[in-house]
Amino acid sequence: MAVAWPEKEDHELLALVQDGSHPAFAELVRRHTERYYRLAFRYLQNRAAAEDMVQDAFLKLWEDPHKWQPDKNTKFTTWFYRVVVNLCLDWQKKKQPVELNEDMPLIDDREGADEAMQRKQQQIALEGAIAALPERQRTAINLCYDEGLSNQDAANVMAINLKALQSLVMRAKTSLKERLKNYL
Amino acid sequence: MSEYRDEKLESLLRSRRNQAVNPDLAARIALKAQTIPQVQNISLWQSMRQLFAEFHLPKPGYVLASALVLGMVLGFNTSPDSSPTQDANYTTTQSMIAGDEGFL
Repeated sequence: MAVAWPEKEDHELLALVQDGSHPAFAELVRRHTERYYRLAFRYLQNRAAAEDMVQDAFLKLWEDPHKWQPDKNTKFTTWFYRVVVNLCLDWQKKKQPVELNEDMPLIDDREGADEAMQRKQQQIALEGAIAALPERQRTAINLCYDEGLSNQDAANVMAINLKALQSLVMRAKTSLKERLKNYL
Repeated sequence: MSEYRDEKLESLLRSRRNQAVNPDLAARIALKAQTIPQVQNISLWQSMRQLFAEFHLPKPGYVLASALVLGMVLGFNTSPDSSPTQDANYTTTQSMIAGDEGFL
């Protein structure tokens, strides 16, 4: 009987991956690649580097799937966000910061030329301002706004308490408002 | 004014564009994983079981192996001084050496 992989929960797939199941691993990767790529791209601003980062993270999981321990009461996605964020931060420490990628779709095709240009400038300024934030504030903004995590989930990813996360977001927004005052 | 700026920033943050993921990326990762072996995390108990699982001796084999081990244990535990044969050999060797010394 064929296995209905999409119906399986992440923890079920991981239990199979721990037993060496390639189809379960493929399903897990298919399910989550996009979200972790998106996050990696936010940090690295480079398509190839972000793809390599996500690949590294998943292959590390494949090599030693027992690194994820279900009994620790952590969702796989939360735990894996932490893995990807740490890899990205390590990468950034080793490499020089990358300029904003020209491939990034900053404008919406449906907008008029003036609006599009204004919007593009706003987004370039926003990306620059976010890139200039301290590491933890940037992570908090990326997790809460781009990934749409709840504050509690974002706090879990960053291994801090809820109040600390809220404080990071608040400080990040104050700093962004200051940097983007010409656009707000 | 401040509230307006807060709202504008919120909407700006929420409208950040995302880079579309390469549709082949997931397949590429899954394919690459097929060439990488997994790390085996074996507990002490499992490794002992694996070790003993390789001993598939028939029953007479166990008897022979046990007898051999028992014989070796007994042999090593027996004091060499208590063997009369060995004493006799020792005396003979001594007398031969003494004889040779006589020639010199």
